[in-house]
Amino acid sequence: MTLGRRDFLRQAGAACCLSLLPVSVAAGLSATPVARNLLRPPGAVVEEIFPAKCIRCGRCVEVCPYRSIRMLDIRHGLHAGTPLIEVTKIPCYLCMKCVDVCPTGCLRRIRQSETRMGLAIVDRFQCATWIGTTLCRTCYDKCPFADRAIRLDQLRPIVNEALCTGCGICTHTCPVTGADGSKAINILPLQAVEKAVG
Amino acid sequence: MTRQEEPGPLPAAGGKTTRLPRFLGRRRRVLAAAFLLIVLNPLLNYYLHSSFLQGWYQSFSIGNLWFVSPLEGLESLLISKTLYTPSLIGMVIPVGIALVLGRVFCSWVCPMSFLLELVDGLRRHLSGQRHLANRLLFAKRVLWFVLIGEIGLSMVLGAPLFVFLSPPGLVGREMMMLVFFKNLALEGLLLVIIMLLELLTRRFFCRTFCPLGGMLAFLGRHRRLRIHLDKDGCTSCGACGNACPLGLLPEQGEGTSAYCWNCGECVDSCRQKMLSFRWQLEKTAVKRGNEQ
Repeated sequence: MTLGRRDFLRQAGAACCLSLLPVSVAAGLSATPVARNLLRPPGAVVEEIFPAKCIRCGRCVEVCPYRSIRMLDIRHGLHAGTPLIEVTKIPCYLCMKCVDVCPTGCLRRIRQSETRMGLAIVDRFQCATWIGTTLCRTCYDKCPFADRAIRLDQLRPIVNEALCTGCGICTHTCPVTGADGSKAINILPLQAVEKAVG
Repeated sequence: MTRQEEPGPLPAAGGKTTRLPRFLGRRRRVLAAAFLLIVLNPLLNYYLHSSFLQGWYQSFSIGNLWFVSPLEGLESLLISKTLYTPSLIGMVIPVGIALVLGRVFCSWVCPMSFLLELVDGLRRHLSGQRHLANRLLFAKRVLWFVLIGEIGLSMVLGAPLFVFLSPPGLVGREMMMLVFFKNLALEGLLLVIIMLLELLTRRFFCRTFCPLGGMLAFLGRHRRLRIHLDKDGCTSCGACGNACPLGLLPEQGEGTSAYCWNCGECVDSCRQKMLSFRWQLEKTAVKRGNEQ
């Protein structure tokens, strides 16, 4: 039986697609759940080894008194069972209880001020104060490191990168919500910030 | 456990009551207590904010006493290539127990074992048949390949697989999800599948496909506590082989093999009382006992 060029190309194309399918599925299953306003608990090791080191014992979820930490399920692939904080729902109040119970060192025992879950970024095109709609300073008032991590510059909020812990309290309290659910001040995971900067 | 199988009132209370065999009764009480512990634990954490008891059988803590499951701890260590002292210390007690007593976690503590006992009891109650005719069998040594394969695959993928697909851990996680988030994680389906497979073969998953069981069995190869067979009085009736949930043949001395998990069902089943738990202090004593 001879194979026409069209048939050959069709079959080759199908074979290529089929062979790529596991790759794309695997890529989907190993994609990190960490994104804007979706963060790991305090003290987390870098995201590359987080799913390898975490044994999914759920003790950080159980100990969190604010119920900030939730547990991912199998829809997140390899990250099933790992902890995640959605700061727009419940931010981290930096009680540092989770870092003390982690049995694998996946959450390192660090101090409150050393926490770097992410970095708050003010969206100057959304923020009511920055665009001049009103004089809002909710994030400045609610920041646990007020006047240090968030300062006011001519009454406009400015984040100090050296001191921001990324706890997300500012994001949680920000009264401005964009169409995509983002706030006027958002927490970017640290890796994302590093990528954006350089 | 079906109602009939619960331990009856004490003999002193009156007449003839059927009591559970010695080890079965004890084991079910321990299993139930261990299961109750991980059911109570999220409730205490959620409603009373008590963090005295924490976690489930991947990592469990009683106050400052931490336990870390050996396989999960090993995977975490191998893949992240870092040592973390609390994790290593947490593994000492489980590993020690496995070295001395063998795979007793599986038969006496594991919450999955409790659920499978329930399924088995239910089946016995509904079908009226005491022993299940095992329909799907794999060679016992598949257990080692599962263990090696699981660790190998985890290292290739760079993410531990057993930590989020471990049935004993999943039971605890589902309990926690139910209490904390009022929903269940999707991977709990795995538990349902394992419970359905129990209707096909007794302890189908435990006997050949549980990597944690494989790990504990491996650690318990030279365990001290073994099933001792007194060959002189054995009538080779086969009762122990029927009773063994793992399909081993204690009458041929398989109670001393690496696969045995010291549940004591065979000890209970032996009418001649020729099987017993025996504390073996020297390795050679075990072998000599077999040869006789």
